[in-house]
Order: sequence, then structure tokens, then C-alpha cells
Amino acid sequence: MGSEHPSRSNNDRRQIPKPGHNPSLTEGASSSSSSSVSKLELVQKAFLAPFGHKKTDSTRILSDLAPVIMTPRMINSAATVSSRPRASITSSSMTRKLDFATLGRAPLRLGLGSKRITSGDLQIFEATEELLEAEVPEPEGIASNVSLLRGFNATIPSAENSKTRRRQMRNVETPRLGLKKLGMSARGLLTEEEDTEGQSVASSEDDIVLVRHVGKKGRESLSTTKKLGREELTRQSQEIMRDKENIHVKRSLINSEIEEITNKIHALDEIRAKLEQDLLKLHEEELELDDELEGVKERIKFEQAAGHQKNSSVQNLHLPPSSRRRKGPAFLPSEHDELPPGVAFMTLESHTTPITALDFSEPYGTLVSGSQEDAQPRVWDLLSGEEIGRLRGHVGAVHCLQVEDHVCLTGGADGNVRLWDLRRVDVDDNWGAEEMVSLRDVAEEEEEGGEFVERPNGIRSSEDTEAKDNACARVLEGHTQAVTALYFEDECLVTGASDKTLRQWDLTTGQCVMTMDILWAISHPANPSLSAPIFSQSFPGSFSVLTPPYADGTRETYEDFVGGVQFWGYGLVSGSGDGAVRMWDMRTGQAHRTLLGHTGPVTCLQFDEIHIVSGSLDQTLRVWDLRMGNIFETIHFDHAVTALQFDSRKIIAATGENGVKIYNRTSYQQSTLLTNGHTSPVERLRYMDRYLVTGARDAKVKIWSL
Amino acid sequence: MPTELPYAADAELSLTYDELDVLRIQYQKELSQDHVTVQTKFNYAWGLVKSPIREHQVDGVRLFQDIYRAEPTRRRECLYYLALGHYKMGNFEEARKFNALLLEKEPTNLQAQSLSQLIEKGAARDGYIGMALVGGVAALGTLVVAGLIRRARK
Repeated sequence: MGSEHPSRSNNDRRQIPKPGHNPSLTEGASSSSSSSVSKLELVQKAFLAPFGHKKTDSTRILSDLAPVIMTPRMINSAATVSSRPRASITSSSMTRKLDFATLGRAPLRLGLGSKRITSGDLQIFEATEELLEAEVPEPEGIASNVSLLRGFNATIPSAENSKTRRRQMRNVETPRLGLKKLGMSARGLLTEEEDTEGQSVASSEDDIVLVRHVGKKGRESLSTTKKLGREELTRQSQEIMRDKENIHVKRSLINSEIEEITNKIHALDEIRAKLEQDLLKLHEEELELDDELEGVKERIKFEQAAGHQKNSSVQNLHLPPSSRRRKGPAFLPSEHDELPPGVAFMTLESHTTPITALDFSEPYGTLVSGSQEDAQPRVWDLLSGEEIGRLRGHVGAVHCLQVEDHVCLTGGADGNVRLWDLRRVDVDDNWGAEEMVSLRDVAEEEEEGGEFVERPNGIRSSEDTEAKDNACARVLEGHTQAVTALYFEDECLVTGASDKTLRQWDLTTGQCVMTMDILWAISHPANPSLSAPIFSQSFPGSFSVLTPPYADGTRETYEDFVGGVQFWGYGLVSGSGDGAVRMWDMRTGQAHRTLLGHTGPVTCLQFDEIHIVSGSLDQTLRVWDLRMGNIFETIHFDHAVTALQFDSRKIIAATGENGVKIYNRTSYQQSTLLTNGHTSPVERLRYMDRYLVTGARDAKVKIWSL
Repeated sequence: MPTELPYAADAELSLTYDELDVLRIQYQKELSQDHVTVQTKFNYAWGLVKSPIREHQVDGVRLFQDIYRAEPTRRRECLYYLALGHYKMGNFEEARKFNALLLEKEPTNLQAQSLSQLIEKGAARDGYIGMALVGGVAALGTLVVAGLIRRARK
């Protein structure tokens, strides 16, 4: 290859006949670089025009390696000619010029080992394209203040040179003092070569003596022996200024680094917070699985029991375990999964007054709802959203009700509790009258009854007086004032009424088994040392309190002395108008513990094995520890709490606003359900698994998916 | 605000072995701490690019590419250094591309303009060598063909 160079000019002449542009080339070499390159480009374009298709970056490097001499291979392999217009600067990414420049480099690449292509080179080439694509913003911040080069000059070790040079300039000539040895021995290091030490000691002593000798005349300052000269001094002052600038540069560099690190720490902190939240979510899921396990175990028991029992006594209500204590997931139609969560997808409209009570047997089962000043709770079929019928029989409004499977118990303002069989409520009965088997005189009922009752009875024919069709199976009387809270399980029912008593009933016989007097419990507290809060004066007359305003500004008079009851086995918990949550023993009828803390009447209550949760008009929701009796948690709201239900992971509460509040017990976060929600404050709610029913003051019942 | 950049001649001056070593130690120390400041990386990369050894230059360019990717604010300066690095290595194509992008952003930059001239000169020189090669190949080819024809005629 080297032999070809001398014959270069000849070769150039030989090329002349072939392309037409050449004549200018051989002379054009001396012209300015830009025009010569363009001529070069023309030449190579014309010369290499036959070869033309694109190839990728890596292969073009390899093709560069391929010996240029082997022309046939060059023709066959992928040779690229890009006809890149001169104007475009950022060329298309995948083409590569095989021009004379590359050809020129080829011998260097092949022969001379110093320019061997390595993987590093390939890496660089491949990276070039993507780098060129990247955006180049205006430099700002530290980049515009201190250029990289400036920083380089400030931070490289040679920047220190001027300082050391100046120090050396200040070095004063003195006789040898042997300072190094002094220093080493002061540090406790053994000095080597003790032989020479003796000698040097001797010589240094001599020296020292000499110095002292001189010093007798009068010690001169060391610096007087030195004269630096004006030039040197100005140079030094300039160097010092430059060093100061360097320090300034270094300072800005370090400050910008600190800023960057702070930002990184901030970002890492955020990541950590998010991970901790994920941990909380895992905890929640674990609780959910625990509940599911409980539910499955109960189901096993239930299905086993159902297999065994064939004859159930007619009188027995024979229900599955109380839905209030069921923890596991419910059986839902598959379409429920398609519902978006947190949305009210069904609205039941029929009532005309605010909803005061509701309960349902199971999701997509049967719902019973009662409203203010309405003596006929309505029965709905949740699959279709249609009203099936009404429960007729009560004289006053229905304040509380509970539904278990096909059995419904309602407590009314007339002080009676009625037991209904929901299977007997049909659409046809809607306008038909229902008789009730009453233990009292029918005549008496008629006297007391308001406009709802018995009138249609009179019009109807005698066949309606048959007991066959009625839905009301039993009436339990005993309370003298409105029944405001009830809870039943299996055959046992406990009711609380505004006559400030709690009664326990046996549902098989319909008899009241025990009466527990709250007033007595108030005046004879189990623990005399406990001082009750403001609210615990005795209530001689009727109990009536003005509630704090709802979110829409309205207020109610609250007259329910017993806000909520629930029992399990022999343990009963009640929440009453004096703000106390009492735990009773149903065997003795005594309240053995009183939980004080609320400053307003307790409106709703629920407990499980670990906690009691109660809500009251004092706008708080309190979670108590069942065994210890102390407050576990208090959640404050903006308005009075009128209904609640909880499980291990969440508490759903109606707090006097249009939206239903959900409180997450693992993450302590609150959220609100608003989508397609109520237009006035929510008063009642009940949920099972992912199916929530709410009733509000707008007289509507809405069904949500959770 | 014009970017402060060194002239290409500065790249030909290499640091002493000791100085480069100090820079490398500083870089590796920060690398072990998992936090490399831009300045340290630049110092080391610039020292490498200035060195006459090609491997160093390759490493230097790679480090400059890292800086380019990582620090958007420093990209404009890096364009120049990348162009300079490629120019020293002989990759005139790449050098031209980077330098052209820089000139787009900052047309008045003196160092970039001078670098573009140098790149063109270098590319032209390579072009001539290439041309010579091609001419030599063509000559050789013609000779061979002529010989074959002559032999065939004989």
C-alpha cells in the first residue's frame, strides 16, 4: 500500500476519464477546506454511485474493516453511499458515508496496530446516534456559572502548584536544624541509624552553637534576609487572587452537589413513605384473609349442620348464624365484580320521609326499610330493585328493625315489637290488608290506631281475617314507650326503648324474660368512683335532645334513649342517651361495666371479639377495648354520627353528611362515598362484604358496591 | 452566555502520568462511594482525552458520553468535548456531527468554529489518502486485466 502513494498523481490522472467532475479535483485540493470537501463528495458520489443500500452502525464499522482492496467483496457486501445534502446537519440515523475519508482511514485501521478497533470504540459509535437525538437544553444553574473547564482548572492537583511555589519562595535559608528528627522523636517514632544520629547531633549542636553565637549580637527576624522583589510580589498577589477565585469555584461546585444530594434524599424519602404505605396495605389484606377464613369455617359448620338436621321444629326460626357476626365474604352474583367500586348503582325510591331504619337479609336479597312517621316498612327485592310489599301492623313509626334471612323484627313507636315472615309478603298483598294475631283486643288496636290501620280491613271481605296470609307472625308487647333499638340472634331478642329499659325476649314463646333498668344502673353505678360526664343527670321525664346540625343545616330532636344494643352469649352491650356504653350480664341483669367517654347520647353501637365501636351525637366515634374497657381510638367528625358498622379493616359511618364515610383502620385514612350519592345527610347504613345499603334524609335508599 | 471551552490545541497537551493518576484515584474513590460528582468525572475524562494513548481517549469519550446522558445542563459543553475526543481519535464523522450540533446552539463560539475547521482539514487529509488507495487499486486492477487480455491474445 505504501507503494501506491508515490504514484498518486498518476492515478489521479487515470481517474480523469471516468467521471466527468474530476479535472477540478486535483487542483482543487488547495482551496478552502469546505469547497474541497464538497468536491470530494461529488467525486465519491459519482464513483461509488453503483453501490447503494443502507446498513446499520455496527456493520458499517465492520465493513470499514473489510479490506478495501477486495473490490468484488466491496461490491457485494453492504456498501453505503448516502447522498446527504450539505445543508442538513443532523442526518438520518441509520446511514453512513462510505467516502474517501473512511477509505483513507482503512489502512490505518488495518495495518497500524495502534488504532485497533475495540469494543469500546463500537460502544462509542453506537451511542453517538442516541446522544445526538437527546435534547440539549440551555445551561442553567451551576452549569452556566461554572463551566466544566473552569472547574477542572480549579480542582486539579496542579492548581495547588502556585501555593506551594509561593511557600517555597518564602523559604528562608537557615543552617540545618534537624527539625525532622525532632518531630519524629516527639511523635514517639524511633529514629533509625543511631550511629549517624550521634554525628548529626554533634553537627547540629555545632550549628546551633553557631546560631546562638550570631544571635548574641541581636536577633534579626528571619524575613529580613529575604528580598522578593516587586515583580515577584505582584505575581504572587495575582496568583493569590486566582487561588481565591478557585476557592469560589470550588465552593459553588460543592454547593450544587449538596443541593443535588438533598433532592436525591428527598426522592428516596418519598419512596420509603410509599413502601411503608404498601406495608399497611399488606396488613389490611391479611386481616381480610383472616376474616375470610372465619367465614369459611362457619360455612363448613353450617353445611354440616344442614346436612344433619332434617326436622326442625316449626317454632324454631332456624336461621343461619346471625349475619351481624358473620365475617367472611358473602355470596354475590358474578356481575357484582363488574361494578366499579364506590358507586351507588341502585336507588330505591318509595318513601316520602327520611329513612330511619333499614336492614337486608343478604346482598341481592330482601331489604326492609322504615322511615319517619311511616308505620309501614317497605319490603324490597334487591335483585330487581322493586318494592315487594309493606309490613302493615304497626301503629306508630318504625324506629328499628333487623332482618335475618326471611325473618324481620321491627320495633315501633307504639312500644311493640313485631316479628314478620318475609316469605309471606307478596306483591299482591300490597293493597291487601294483613291481619295480625294479636294478644290484645282488636278493638283496642282500632282505638289507638291512626289513619293507617284497620280501615281497609273493614272494607274487605271476611276472608282477609284469615290468619293464613299475614306476614306478621308475632307481636311482642311490654315496653311503654317507643322501641328504639333491637338485636336478635337465634331465639333471643333484646330491645331497648325510650322508657329507659332493656328487655330480653324469648322468640319461641314471645315472652319477656328479663327487664334491665338503665335508670337504676345510672343511679347505682357498678364503680362508684367513676364520675359520669355532664350528661348523666337523671332523666325524670321524657328524654329529648336537640341534635347538632347536619351538614345541610337541619336539626332533629333526638328522643331515643337507647341508641343501640347488641349481645353475644350472655354479654350485652348497650349505648344510651346519657352517653354511656354499658356492658350487662344477661344472667344477672346487672350492668357490670360502664364505659364513659361520650359527651352526647350514643346513637349506634357494634362490637366484636376485640373492640366496641360506638357513635354519638357528640360528633365522635369511639373504639373501646372490650376486655380492658378503655378507649382505643377516637375519631372526630364534623357532625353527629347516626349509624355505623365495622369490621377488622374499616368502619363505615353515617356522619350527618351526604357522603358515606369510610375509615380505614390500618392506614387511619378516611374516604367518602359520593358518586351518585345522596342529596341529603345519610342516616342509616348496613353492609355485607362489598354490598352497602344506605338510607338518607332524602327518603331514598341507595345501594353501593364497595 | 458563551460557553467557556478550551481550544483544540489544549487537547494535545497531555497531563503527566502522576496527574492523571491522581485524577483516576479521585474518580475511583468516589465510584466506590457510589456518588461521583460531575466535576470529578469531567476531570478524569478530560485528562484521558488529552492523553496520547488511544485507549485512554476511548475511555475518555465514553465518560463524556456518560456525562452527556446524565446531566442535561452540561450537554452543550459535552458536545464540544465529545467532538474534540472523536477528532483526536480520528472519527471525523462523529466529530463533525457533534460539533455541528454545538454550532447550531451557539454559532458564535470561537473554539467550536476552529474545531470545525480542524475536522474538515483532517477529513480532507483522510480523503486524499483514500483517494490514493482507490487509485492504486484501480491501477493494479487495470494492470492485471491488461495482462490477462494480453495473455489471452497471445
